Amino acid sequence: MPADLYSIPAADLIGLYPELILAGAGVVILLVDAFLGDRRLLTTIFALAAVGAAAFYGGSTAMGASFGGLLETTALSVAIRWVVLLCLGMALLGSHGFLRRERLPSGEYHALLLWAAAGALLMARTSELITLFLGLELLSICLYALAAYHRRLPVATESGIKYFLNGAFISCFVLLGIALVYGETGTTRLSAVAEAGSEPGSPMLLIGLLLLICGFAFKMSVAPFHAWAPDVYQGAASPFVAFLSVAPKAASAVVLVRITELTLVAGLDGWDDVISVLAVLSMIVGNFLALSQRDIKRMLAYSGVAHMGYLLVPLVGLGEGTREALFVYLLAYALMNAGAFVAIGRLYAEPGDQHLISDLAGWGYRFPLLGVGLTVCLISLGGIPPTLGFVGKYLVFLHAIQSGHPMLAVAIVLTSLLGVYYYLRVVYTLYMMPEVRQPSDGGEAARSLDWGAGAAVVIGALGSVFLGLWPTGVLQWFARALGTGL
Amino acid sequence: MTGSFMELLFGPSLTRVVFFPILAAAVITLLPSGRKAWIRGIALAAGVIELALSIQLVVAGMADGIFQLLRDGDPAGGAIEWIPRFGIGYDLRMDGLSMPLVVLTAFLLPVVVLASWRGIENHWKGYATSLLLLTTGILGALLAHDLFLFYVFWEVMLIPMYLIIGIWGGERRIYAAIKFFLFTMAGSLFMLLGIVWLAARHAGLSGVWSFDYDDLLRLDLPLEQQLWLFAVFALAFAIKVPLVPFHTWLPDAHVQAPTGGSVILAGVLLKLGTYGLLRFALPLFPHAAREAQPVLVTLAVIGILYGALVAWRQEDMKSLVAYSSVAHLGFVVLGLMAFDLIAWQGALMQMVNHGLATGALFLLVGMLYERRHTKLFAEFGGLAKVMPWFAFFLVFSSLASVGLPGLNGFVGEFLILTGSFRGGLILATALAAFGVVLAAVYLFKMLHETLWGPITREENRQLADLSLREIVTLAPIAVLMLALGLAPQLFLKPVAPAIETAHRAFVERLEQGPATAASLRMPPDTIALSEKGD
Repeated sequence: MPADLYSIPAADLIGLYPELILAGAGVVILLVDAFLGDRRLLTTIFALAAVGAAAFYGGSTAMGASFGGLLETTALSVAIRWVVLLCLGMALLGSHGFLRRERLPSGEYHALLLWAAAGALLMARTSELITLFLGLELLSICLYALAAYHRRLPVATESGIKYFLNGAFISCFVLLGIALVYGETGTTRLSAVAEAGSEPGSPMLLIGLLLLICGFAFKMSVAPFHAWAPDVYQGAASPFVAFLSVAPKAASAVVLVRITELTLVAGLDGWDDVISVLAVLSMIVGNFLALSQRDIKRMLAYSGVAHMGYLLVPLVGLGEGTREALFVYLLAYALMNAGAFVAIGRLYAEPGDQHLISDLAGWGYRFPLLGVGLTVCLISLGGIPPTLGFVGKYLVFLHAIQSGHPMLAVAIVLTSLLGVYYYLRVVYTLYMMPEVRQPSDGGEAARSLDWGAGAAVVIGALGSVFLGLWPTGVLQWFARALGTGL
Repeated sequence: MTGSFMELLFGPSLTRVVFFPILAAAVITLLPSGRKAWIRGIALAAGVIELALSIQLVVAGMADGIFQLLRDGDPAGGAIEWIPRFGIGYDLRMDGLSMPLVVLTAFLLPVVVLASWRGIENHWKGYATSLLLLTTGILGALLAHDLFLFYVFWEVMLIPMYLIIGIWGGERRIYAAIKFFLFTMAGSLFMLLGIVWLAARHAGLSGVWSFDYDDLLRLDLPLEQQLWLFAVFALAFAIKVPLVPFHTWLPDAHVQAPTGGSVILAGVLLKLGTYGLLRFALPLFPHAAREAQPVLVTLAVIGILYGALVAWRQEDMKSLVAYSSVAHLGFVVLGLMAFDLIAWQGALMQMVNHGLATGALFLLVGMLYERRHTKLFAEFGGLAKVMPWFAFFLVFSSLASVGLPGLNGFVGEFLILTGSFRGGLILATALAAFGVVLAAVYLFKMLHETLWGPITREENRQLADLSLREIVTLAPIAVLMLALGLAPQLFLKPVAPAIETAHRAFVERLEQGPATAASLRMPPDTIALSEKGD
């Protein structure tokens, strides 16, 4: 089999275009930065063009295995590529004005962001453990650097260090897990692992897979692996958090589906229980802790924990609706969460360690577009129709009921009621409280339009509402992708 | 789907009635927010046009004085596909059960805009937009024939009402708005669970996904499944009504909401709870409803008595009217749970009556508040001498609310009491009749303390009487109350066949007894399409 790797078929390379384009564009941006100096607008437009090209060439990806089985493209991985590219595009749009206001160099920032996205795409497509680890590390290392990117700000450095230490620690778990799985089955290909049929009752495979899960639960900020998220989100640049809070979770979700499939084939018992416990724990921990937050970024970090709890539900009792529910939920999450973080990046124009919700009092009238956009994104996060967030929650519900786990649906109902409360708290602060804070630049920021952030927020809000009213297009596209691919 | 939807939107259809307010709201959002006069004018015009559109449909649907079924769907029959993956269709239907409430909603829209003319000072753009979106949500929920569609509209109502209470409300508006939202959301999330479970069950039995009301009506479920499903539906509707243990959000929401918000809330929003019981909870789960009858009747009677007693002791005019809503809607629930044809007719009529009478009372309290910025009884007295027009309308609306023969409230209450007595709820009927006496007590207390006696406060001597705008706001309501009281056939005749068929189907299913295992009943047409009349 190694011989195949030396003669790569052209079709395999063409299938890899999206990742290659993103990675290559990152290199070009660095070179431009080195030779022409910091060209903000040019860099942003070039990076956006790279995202567009990656999306365009993604259409020609053939389904199935390539690179001798190292990559395996499924309908879900193609769908998740759209999610990653969407939140990448929104983050890029939101970052332009942010980097300009903060006088931060834009070259490295964009390069790192594009490489991180390439890593996420790779993760979503691989079915081999070593490649998976490479994708994970490519994603993670870029994210560590980006979390600390605002180098003049101590809180950003703290954020980066925290993320790095935790992430490096958890990477060891993933490696140990890979080692155990390999030791037990003699292969790193997931399809072969399942068929290798470890001796029944041998705990090694299960322990290995559990260790792997720890790593991806960490990336998804699933409780009890969530503690890093609020600190890192709080310190990192908000437009970057728009990417950080979506892309790694989306890519990890695909990996979880693959591992869950594997456990079914290998006949491991108790897997559903593990996922159920993680899901319910995340719902409870995330929603209850979000309830008491005064900082909006920390609140959204905890609410993200809760959302990952909902997202795990389709993995319990893997069935026909699982992939659809995951994809629609993550698409909704990309629109609403990235939209919300970009809006926050704009509303708290002076970065610091605090983003108090109470500081937004009355600002819905000062920033009409951002206010309405943020409100719509929060309503979507609360799962209230007619938004895509509701459609996603409906699909999760449906899966829980159809697969015979109604108690998970009840858990979602009870905990998401808390969610409605804390999302509404932001809405009433925006519109129902008297203003307490003047913009530090005396309203200058309100007058100077940040077109990038505005566009990203509009994409998030309008996308949530439009797709919420008309989800059929998305559902049909995904059904076709499933039909052709598997 | 979009093609036929657009055709409907611009043709004489239910769709146009439902979505016209959104189009008007879109026009308003394009105006600069400084143009208050323009925005108010457009909102008023939109309200009048909306009323005209709904009346046009009612006229179109009338044949021999009886309202026929109107529907928006594929001309070939069946619903317009919305989310075909799950058999979710866009299907609106207006029959005798929903028609009166649709007209009431459209009627109250221009009234509310007129009533808010002065009272709303800031952010008219947001206010008008919220009001119009709210109207779309209400109308959609009343007309939806697909349970998924119903749920979407049901939730769409929440956000605009939340904003109306929270932005333009009184001192404790944020608390009231959040409480309103969370109470309603708690009920409706469980209802969503029930709806999804029903659809999944239907898909499991028939192999076809559908959220269509007629299809789900064919499900024959064993009693224990019906019971929990009825419980989640009834919970959502009981919170909305509100029935007694779930009523605590109502006084807060009413007292804090601006006048226009209170009128919409009392006039139509609460009716969606009782409408939901009549339309969905009872027909879908008849056997469970029969099991739950003692509980719900008890709660309704407690609501009638408790609401009246608490209303009696209020010191604030608006909270008095708010608690009177609890009592009045107790009557409606009693009528529905009596499972008697006459009681059902009375309940439907009482929904409209309460919308008119309580709407008028909230308008009057709001007008007084605009003049004196207080609603406390202690501040008033002897107003009849300085504000004769105001006194006339207050007395008139109170008498309608009490149920004076000749006004509309009498007919509704009489039918409900007759029907529930005939239905065998003798003790409940007796207690409810006592509630009518209590209603007289608290409403006459209000009249006594505000209108009669000497003028106790100097500042009340200079109060201006109602302006022409305010009289124009109130007069149509008063005319309707009188008309429905003198000639109740105007109301009862058009809707009678729809109630009769609904009642017959309900009783037939009760007689069949619950299924032992979940199954699909085969002949759907007799029940499903029966509202067309024979």
